[in-house]
Amino acid sequence: MTIFKKSISNRKLPDFFSAIVVLVLSVTLLAPATVRAMIIGETGSHFNLTASEGYISIADGGSIYSWGYSNNGTMQLPGPTLIVDQGTTVTITLNNNLPAAAGNTSIVFPGHQVTTSSGVAGQITQEAPVGGSVTYSFVANTPGTYQYHSGTRPDLQIEMGLYGAIIVRPSSPAVGCSVASAYDHPKTCYDREYLYLLSEIDIDIHEAAQQQATGPGPIDVGSGPFHPEYWLLNGRAAPDTMASAGTSLLPNQPYNAMTRMHPGEKILLRVVGAGRDMHPFHTHGNHSQVLARDGRLLLSATDSSQLAGPLLFTIPAAPGGTVDAIFGWTGKDLGWDIYGHKPSDPMEEHEWAPDHGKPIPVELPSLSSMAFGGFYSGSPFLGAMGSLPPGEGGLNPNAGYAYMWHSHTEREMVNNDVFPGGMMTMLIIEAPSVVITE
Amino acid sequence: MKLQRNISMNSVINLSSTIFLLLFITLGVSAQESSINVQCPKGTGTLIHPGANNPGIKCMHLAAGDGMVTMADNYQNTGAGKPMYVFSFAELPLPGVDGAPTENSGDYPGWVMDQGMLAANAPAPTIAIDEDDELFLSMTNVGMAMRPDLFDPHTIHWHGFAEASALFDGVPDASISINMGATLTYYYQAKDAGTYMYHCHVEAAEHMQMGMLGNLFVRPRQNRCDTINDSSIPGGICPDGHISGVSTYAYNDGDGSTRYDVEYPIQIGSFDPDFHDASFNVQPLPFAGMRDRYFLLNGRGYPDTVNPNALSTVDPLGNTQVSQPISSLISASPGQRILLRISNLSVTQFYTIGTSGLTMNVVGLDARLLRDGAGNNMNYQTNSLTLGGGQSADVIITTPATAGTYFLYTKNLDQLANDAENFGGMMTEIRIN
Repeated sequence: MTIFKKSISNRKLPDFFSAIVVLVLSVTLLAPATVRAMIIGETGSHFNLTASEGYISIADGGSIYSWGYSNNGTMQLPGPTLIVDQGTTVTITLNNNLPAAAGNTSIVFPGHQVTTSSGVAGQITQEAPVGGSVTYSFVANTPGTYQYHSGTRPDLQIEMGLYGAIIVRPSSPAVGCSVASAYDHPKTCYDREYLYLLSEIDIDIHEAAQQQATGPGPIDVGSGPFHPEYWLLNGRAAPDTMASAGTSLLPNQPYNAMTRMHPGEKILLRVVGAGRDMHPFHTHGNHSQVLARDGRLLLSATDSSQLAGPLLFTIPAAPGGTVDAIFGWTGKDLGWDIYGHKPSDPMEEHEWAPDHGKPIPVELPSLSSMAFGGFYSGSPFLGAMGSLPPGEGGLNPNAGYAYMWHSHTEREMVNNDVFPGGMMTMLIIEAPSVVITE
Repeated sequence: MKLQRNISMNSVINLSSTIFLLLFITLGVSAQESSINVQCPKGTGTLIHPGANNPGIKCMHLAAGDGMVTMADNYQNTGAGKPMYVFSFAELPLPGVDGAPTENSGDYPGWVMDQGMLAANAPAPTIAIDEDDELFLSMTNVGMAMRPDLFDPHTIHWHGFAEASALFDGVPDASISINMGATLTYYYQAKDAGTYMYHCHVEAAEHMQMGMLGNLFVRPRQNRCDTINDSSIPGGICPDGHISGVSTYAYNDGDGSTRYDVEYPIQIGSFDPDFHDASFNVQPLPFAGMRDRYFLLNGRGYPDTVNPNALSTVDPLGNTQVSQPISSLISASPGQRILLRISNLSVTQFYTIGTSGLTMNVVGLDARLLRDGAGNNMNYQTNSLTLGGGQSADVIITTPATAGTYFLYTKNLDQLANDAENFGGMMTEIRIN
């Protein structure tokens, strides 16, 4: 760590704290709408999207000229997550409110058979001319995770931010699932679901587009080497990924990527590769069971009641692709009791019984020998607080276990030349008694 | 060849390093209870390990610090490879072993600092244990001698450990890390065979680009099936054709499909020399601008990959140190089965690695046997395998009946290079003889 970097990260700290405070406050103030975390998005069958220009915030203090979709007047990145039920005929009207220099725009829906009406003919689909509109329609036949993005000058328009996710829910959740399922299959039950939409930003392209946006067009951003400086999870760069969803601090980036669960729960990961690079998404804490790729459930060739996808500790997110996977955690086989129980104490729900009452087999170093993370509670035990030196900890108010989920291309865990940042968020496994409302 | 800063800077750094070293030796000797403390309950009998000499308890001690390694080019026509400044780990003997002072003598802490400083290896020492082992992994932060301006703590992240605790997961933001001059002992109960990897997670983009990366794998209990004989334990019964004390497997496959004769860990990686030089010269570091130009297998570029010996490098204080101990030369007899434990710990990109003339049978991914939920084999044969950073694969190659030399190399052909020099980089040889 250089002195230069240190001063930068110190300056960033208040922002980070305020973001976390927002998260905590929102947890406290908002009445829980459901007992499980659902991906935030737009539901229904008719969507009215407008492509327009705006700015997004990057956690190093910068603001970046971008293009995005909106359904309520506020351009956002990524576009609204469209959540539809299997079998629905989905209709999407796209209005082109981009600067005239950007020219036409359009949307393609990989994985769906689309019919179009109105608009003007484009290279690969009907397009909305400047100030005009076009309508797309498809039947959401198969449950799963999909994406949508611009089909016009995609090298420029997708880079500028014209992309989003589509979630198709099964018309009938699988039998035997207590909360929900990703597919009509009992091996796809989950308790909570989270979206991880991965993309990147090459600032040179955005600056060139900004400079030419008021000109006659067409916008020329060259075709030189692609060198991104910013990497986004759900449109945000860490640590903003962990700030509250919908925070007024980030009006154009409403989605967060903060992940929370209890031991024994199953969470559904919907991983979307929305940029042009591959990203190895590493889930600290445990393997994930791959359910499906690109909205197609992977089942055993000899026994369709069984899954066929691999167990992965790093999920490769490929451009244009999606992966659905299930992650669970109980602390099994650690060899020590994660709750710090005495043998006579009662068991926690989902506790790994063979380790009940076992002490940690090693002695931890003295406080002065250690450095502490902001998410460390001061105690090695789940849900317990311990003493920390002044100024340490503080980001993990319920003393959960914290795990970093990030691109394992570590170069992408930065905001330009400032580490940490970028394509990174945290999973908090909360103690069983903690109520998770977000 | 020795990497030089400009003269004045170099002498300042040398002086600082010496003071730093003396400081720690002095502290180590004078302190009543040192913070350098290797915990290994083997033979001592503890509450949870009442029996002495439990063979399933493994102890290891790593020093985390800095050092120099040598690249495979003819750097600036010097006749030697580019010296590259790295952060990484070095293995140290446990107290009282292999000439190390005993703990009771009080000399061990000072000896650790003396031996551990500037001793970093690329890749870091291999951790290889057996399923059901308990690993007491002690890591002492000996500081970066050439960067006395840094106060960085270090961690060990066992990448891919199932059902991990945050405490021993090594993410500094989420738990604890260890300061200079002190030891943290990690505890792992290895319950799942497979090919993993480990690395420091502190300032991950920096410490990992700098080289704090190593091979880590767990051999399955099926290797010991003769002594287990419990059909309720996966791998507790022997597959057909098992030969006691000889047969080795990648996983508890139950059918012998992952049997191998020889195994080689192959860690894919790459270094950006500008980043390493900037670090050595105390300059701002290019993060988003990282451009790796040395493409490596186990810390070496071809042809150094096929050198069977350990490579040494002269450190900035003038001492010759072992720098890259792991050869990637793959040798087998005709008809043998080779297990390649391949991992990618590049911090900048995906790599595709493949073979010429030999078929790779991918039997495991991310430390899990490739089987579907119904138990069907999902292994597949290929000539090219693409892995991103933090992915691993287990590949079995059945060698032909005749002798010959084959290549294992990146199919990203521009990366068959050691910086500016063509024909090198991410490649090694498979010699059948």
